[in-house]
Amino acid sequence: MTAAAPGGGGAGSGGRRHGPTLVAGLGAHPDPHPALDWIVMCSPGVGWWRASVAPGQLVEPGQLLGELTVLGVVIRVVAPAGARGRVVADADQGRAIAAQAGNPLLTLARGDAAIEGATAAHGAVATTAAAGLTIRAPSSGRFYGRPAPGKPAFVSAGDVIRDGHTVCLLEVMKTFHRVTYGGDGLPPQARVVSVAVADEADVNRGDVLLDLEAVS
Amino acid sequence: MSPPTFHRILIANRGEVAARVARTCDRLGITPVFAVSEADREAPYTRGRDRGRDVVVLGPARAAASYLDPVRVVQAAVQTRCTALHPGWGFLSENPLLASLCAQHGVTFIGPPPHVMALMGTKSPAKRAMRAAGLDVIPGSDGPLPSAAVARRVADQVGYPVLLKAESGGGGRGMRIARAAGEIEAAFADAQAEARAAFGDDRVYLERLIEGGRHVEIQIFADRHGNVIHVGERDCTVQRNHQKLIEESPSPVLDATLRARTLERAVAAARAIGYVGAGTMELLLDGDTPPADAQARQPGAGPSNHRGALRFMEMNTRLQVEHTVSEQRSGLDLVELQIEAAAGHRLRLRQDDVRLDGHVLECRINAEDPHAGFKPSPGRITRWRLPDAQDGAIRVDTHVEEGYVVPPHYDSLLCKVIARGATRDEAIERMLRALGELICEGVATTTPLHQQVLRSDAFRHHRYDTRTVPGWPQDPNH
Repeated sequence: MTAAAPGGGGAGSGGRRHGPTLVAGLGAHPDPHPALDWIVMCSPGVGWWRASVAPGQLVEPGQLLGELTVLGVVIRVVAPAGARGRVVADADQGRAIAAQAGNPLLTLARGDAAIEGATAAHGAVATTAAAGLTIRAPSSGRFYGRPAPGKPAFVSAGDVIRDGHTVCLLEVMKTFHRVTYGGDGLPPQARVVSVAVADEADVNRGDVLLDLEAVS
Repeated sequence: MSPPTFHRILIANRGEVAARVARTCDRLGITPVFAVSEADREAPYTRGRDRGRDVVVLGPARAAASYLDPVRVVQAAVQTRCTALHPGWGFLSENPLLASLCAQHGVTFIGPPPHVMALMGTKSPAKRAMRAAGLDVIPGSDGPLPSAAVARRVADQVGYPVLLKAESGGGGRGMRIARAAGEIEAAFADAQAEARAAFGDDRVYLERLIEGGRHVEIQIFADRHGNVIHVGERDCTVQRNHQKLIEESPSPVLDATLRARTLERAVAAARAIGYVGAGTMELLLDGDTPPADAQARQPGAGPSNHRGALRFMEMNTRLQVEHTVSEQRSGLDLVELQIEAAAGHRLRLRQDDVRLDGHVLECRINAEDPHAGFKPSPGRITRWRLPDAQDGAIRVDTHVEEGYVVPPHYDSLLCKVIARGATRDEAIERMLRALGELICEGVATTTPLHQQVLRSDAFRHHRYDTRTVPGWPQDPNH
């Protein structure tokens, strides 16, 4: 038995009842990218999942990732051995979602700055064109220019952005990936000339997302 | 137009069971939601989301972390918006905790109330309830025994040999035979130790050991309004290590008077305990090997006026693997009746409406090698062809198709072949033709065993009991 003692699991009891701690499983990313070393953490069972880590947060093995509520009993889900990285994807932050065993819960980018490093290491992502700089999609997916509907955009024309600044979210196979500016070969800061893609548009890998110009 | 039942039913089972329950759901326009382990997520029956089927993954292949975890199962029902849960047979189907959790979380459990399951799940209270309702029981202790000394006193009264059995037992574990007073102490201690290890309950009771009996069981069905019917009996005497191989109805050796009386009392007993849904009373037909003149009689000449007592052993509070035998004789869909009863409907037929026609046989085809000590044979099925339906006389229940990989984690049942005939002989002949047409390559199957049994004189002339498989050489360790 996973969660409750026999006879347990009753709804409507006062306070939160806690079950044992479970370790998240490790899964394969549905759309592997040569430049991005993704770690996908999967649900160890069925239940209502709520993440307690935010995108951008650094996660270490054994760290609490979130809670799985199973028949009213709260089970803490922690990161497995080897899962060290920054949270780049969170399907539905803050809201409890129905998770099945093996469903992806969170995606980490291995290491501290995997995405930033990757953007620079691979010209497909960020290129210094003759006319200026462009940021290209690291993967096919849906482009989100704002963190949530009604929230301000990550970037707008005229903004000056620095290393680590979030440019957009890409939804790939139901998981969200944060695309950030920065890396070798890019100036430490740049001005956004234009956002080349409409919000929630589908993009292919290599499509231009942003046109930029260096600023000194 | 029948009144509504449920929109979505969680099927908390796998394999042939899940496929069987889903077939009725499909027909009734109910969405079956398969609660599967990771090993079964690609199983053939889970396909068809476009035609109203759905899947929820419970956990790893290991049954303890998936099919046997009532908390996961009920949570899966809740989060997939199922309003009812069918437990099938095996796994958690007789677990009162599952039924209680369902009730707590607003999911209708398709089965009896939890307290009735609990009553029938412990042997002594079940036996007491059945005796009170008028069924004969096997003589023995009145409940669990406090000590080996008391066991010996009771054994001296009922007579040797005796069987010491686990109060919470099943599947042949937690049982020891004592053939004389001097063997009681060791048998009591061994049964207790095995029961503690296997069931977490070391209570042991005692019965007179009846050797050489036949296994006869009665299919019961009840609604929530006190209406109870039977769907006849099944004879499951062809067994190996307590595992049934062939089931048939009617029993070829049961005396007509004894049959009628026992069916009537089984119905009364089910009503007395407040039973709801499908259930089976398992009985032992004692009396020694059939009378010597059985050999002289014509095969299939009908009931042989077998003398003896038909005594209650236990009640299974669920549908059984071999429910198909009763379905083929009666034309009823027992899963449909279960769903209707769970929804609170009144039984739509009275006992007089139940017509039991002809003779029906079922063979369980397992992925086991009968020529290699019944070694399990998991693996990929490279070729698979079902037999001809013979104008509806043959039914095959299966979850298998060509290319299916029999996983090593669960039981080995591949399919059930059910044959109907006007007489036992006709059913046997049709079964033999069907088994000859069934093609399964890639894994070993028990088909050759069934063919050999069905062709044997011992089977045709009823010269067998639960200890021997007719027409098959005895196990060397038996």
